[in-house]
Amino acid sequence: MSEVLRTDHLSIQFGGLKAVNDVSFQVNEGETFGIIGPNGAGKTTLFNMCSGIYKPTSGDVYLCGEKITGMHPENICNKGLCRTFQSSQLFAFMSVLENVKVGCHIGTRTGFKDAIMRNKRYKQDEEFAYEKSLEIIEKVGLKKYIDTKAGNLSYGIQRKVEIARALATDPKILLLDEPAAGMNPNETADLMDFVNLLHLEHQTVLLIEHDMKFVMNSCKRILVLNFGQKICEGTPEEVRNNKDVQEAYFGSGMVTKGVC
Amino acid sequence: MKEKFALKDFVKKHSSIAILLAIVIVAVLPLIFKTSQTRILCRILMYVTLAGSLNLINGYSGQTCLGQAGFFAVGAYTTAILITRFHISFWPLLLLSGIMAALIGVLIALPILRMKGIYLSMVTLGASEIIRTIALNWQSVTGGAFGIKNITRPQIFGLTIDTPQKFAWLFLIVACIFLFVSKRVLSSRIGRAWMAIREGELAAASLGVEVAKYKILNFAYGAFWAGIAGSIYAPYLRYIDSSAFTLDEGFNILSMIVIGGQGTLAGPIVGAVVVNLLTEALRAISNWRYVVYAGLLIFMMWKRPRGLVGENSQVTMVTGEKSIKKNRRKGAVK
Amino acid sequence: MEYVLSQLINGICQGMIYALMAIGYSVIAGVTGMVSFCYGDLMTMGAFAAFYMFEFAGSNIVLGVISSFIACWLLGIIIYKLCYEKFLNAPRHITMICTFAFGIGMRNLAQILFGEARKPVLNVVGNRAIILGKSIRITMLQITIIVTVIILAILLSWFLNKTKWGLSLRAISQDKTASYVVGINAKRYSLIGSCLGSSLGGVAGLLLAVYYQTVYVTMGNALSMKSFSATVLGGLTDVPLSALGGLCIGVIENLGITLTDSSFRDLFTFSFLMLILLIRPQGFASKKGARP
Repeated sequence: MSEVLRTDHLSIQFGGLKAVNDVSFQVNEGETFGIIGPNGAGKTTLFNMCSGIYKPTSGDVYLCGEKITGMHPENICNKGLCRTFQSSQLFAFMSVLENVKVGCHIGTRTGFKDAIMRNKRYKQDEEFAYEKSLEIIEKVGLKKYIDTKAGNLSYGIQRKVEIARALATDPKILLLDEPAAGMNPNETADLMDFVNLLHLEHQTVLLIEHDMKFVMNSCKRILVLNFGQKICEGTPEEVRNNKDVQEAYFGSGMVTKGVC
Repeated sequence: MKEKFALKDFVKKHSSIAILLAIVIVAVLPLIFKTSQTRILCRILMYVTLAGSLNLINGYSGQTCLGQAGFFAVGAYTTAILITRFHISFWPLLLLSGIMAALIGVLIALPILRMKGIYLSMVTLGASEIIRTIALNWQSVTGGAFGIKNITRPQIFGLTIDTPQKFAWLFLIVACIFLFVSKRVLSSRIGRAWMAIREGELAAASLGVEVAKYKILNFAYGAFWAGIAGSIYAPYLRYIDSSAFTLDEGFNILSMIVIGGQGTLAGPIVGAVVVNLLTEALRAISNWRYVVYAGLLIFMMWKRPRGLVGENSQVTMVTGEKSIKKNRRKGAVK
Repeated sequence: MEYVLSQLINGICQGMIYALMAIGYSVIAGVTGMVSFCYGDLMTMGAFAAFYMFEFAGSNIVLGVISSFIACWLLGIIIYKLCYEKFLNAPRHITMICTFAFGIGMRNLAQILFGEARKPVLNVVGNRAIILGKSIRITMLQITIIVTVIILAILLSWFLNKTKWGLSLRAISQDKTASYVVGINAKRYSLIGSCLGSSLGGVAGLLLAVYYQTVYVTMGNALSMKSFSATVLGGLTDVPLSALGGLCIGVIENLGITLTDSSFRDLFTFSFLMLILLIRPQGFASKKGARP
């Protein structure tokens, strides 16, 4: 199994605050990797550094062995890393189909001339974008919303559209930032099935999640952050039994008393 | 009421026939109209291109540009100067004016790539004022406050385009080409990239849309068509000076697209027709016309802030927009 | 050299007026989170209010200030109700169009009511001058203007920092939603802030009229942009820094026209504005905190 994403002693500092401090981890091909941690642990900041929105103060990010530290988000996406956002960043005034078609942007090459002449390349590209979007939308199960404006959808469905859109870029690794946030239990169960399906299709996934059941069930390996520091990495079982993790979540008093 | 619906259905079903019919009707109008009416038609058709070009920037990529009058001026002055000084034929100049305006558009777009909202608007506004001030003060080239007179009328196949009637046709052809080309661009990957930038720059970037490149392209494309409109405007009036390109003109264009509805191709057309007919109709009350016009503009904003053509579905209503905008602002990175 | 020095004095005096404009503008921009394109015309209205006061009750600068303050306060209410209140959360271009339309309406109405001709505003302040050098002199007029602006600025800073209203105004210019939560009626205070800003603009208009000794309908045309430039220089919502920005613009303009002729005056402002926005969008302010 080869590595897809690797961070090497990654740190970022905002003023005096070390939001992420010396975090190294590696995600292998076909793996579903989870990052958990209490609020403010630096999970999203870590994502932002991987996807090029923040530039790390020190340390490097490697995608398939290639250094992507400090690149622009669009170039990183081009290299095969695509992410979703914690609060939905959908194109609210565009239909679901159009949203997903934007995801096909990097797979197509139509220029001004092609668009105006409607030549072969334009037709190929449009066909490609349409077919692919349709396929992904069907896979995610949003067929009936295809022409709805994304802003009109419920929150849970918006999250799915966002995942669909990210999948359309054909990412080598998909970064999901709290995909189940704001979903009801049914939707969460659906999403869990979907992430498992992605795993079966050998899609590499890196996800942040607060829903423990979700993480424990779908991730094979988990990284735990607290106050910007890595406190544990391992299988769900290992993480569950790790004392540091318990302390981070419940406070040291509770753990020593043996409440948990 | 019933008839109205039938018409709507017809337009939907046979859109190409309906559009062709509309073009033919507009093309016949100059034959029927009196000269004064044809002049109004010319203005409307010119503003279809001009307002449409602004709509491409404001409505599709969401960069609130207020400097369209500046691009318009660049186009008009390029044609006027070259045609009076060097007697170059009009047709290559038409293209050249567009390209000049597009270059200025790129020049303005470059520094504002990292700006947002009101700062961006103000820089475009400032740029437009700078262009006008240069036109007003660079006596040796632009004629300063006296403007440029006796601009040669364009010729085609030995036929001089001199009457408002012929200009109406020229404006119509250009407007049609503009709409046709823009429709194609917008329905391609480029148009989708622009709209994605409008809806959320960060999300667009993280999907691989080269935000900077597409913003520059967008400005260049919008400015190009404004330049073309200016290029025809100069020989149409045969006289230009800087007073035609003030901030008020910029806002006039903006009000057209806002009244018509941003982000739709039909919006600026409706806006151009409504605003121009309104200003003509209000001429009767001479002094009071701007007061009434201002009142109507504010009334319009109260009643239909999304414009006449703008959809009124739930997301697009002001109240709905509130929550979406808020979410977007708050969750900028998080 | 002396020419430059005397231009510097002119610049400071004009800069003071711009500072007052900028203060008013930044109060409006702060509380509403929007820009105003009718600010220049509002200033014209302030000048006209004072002009008619002078006609009616004789040339007394204090009376003039009060009348333009009140007139613009009332106009500020109308502007807020028409252009801001409904659109505080709407896309920004709507307020732009509304304020712009209101500006056109106001300007043309003024043209109908007051006539197009320039009206003289003479002898409001005695024309004595203090001579400092061969050609450097400060007139009483300039001193009066500077003193008026300083007094108003001190009053405003007392108001904003020491009173309950001022506290509320500052709170809503930081965050409207949070202000609602702590029990501040954001709409009401936005109204007050917008009126206050308008009134200060009106007084600035009066001072300009006194400075140039004339008042006419189109005098406010380029002034919205100038106030905006000054405000941006100060970080858009910071009141004292905006005042500093206004002062800078005034000085730069007047020094700039020593190099070329005065028809390029506006060019300096706009180029300067663009330069600031490019290099340092947050202006003098240390933090990138401006919302709009």
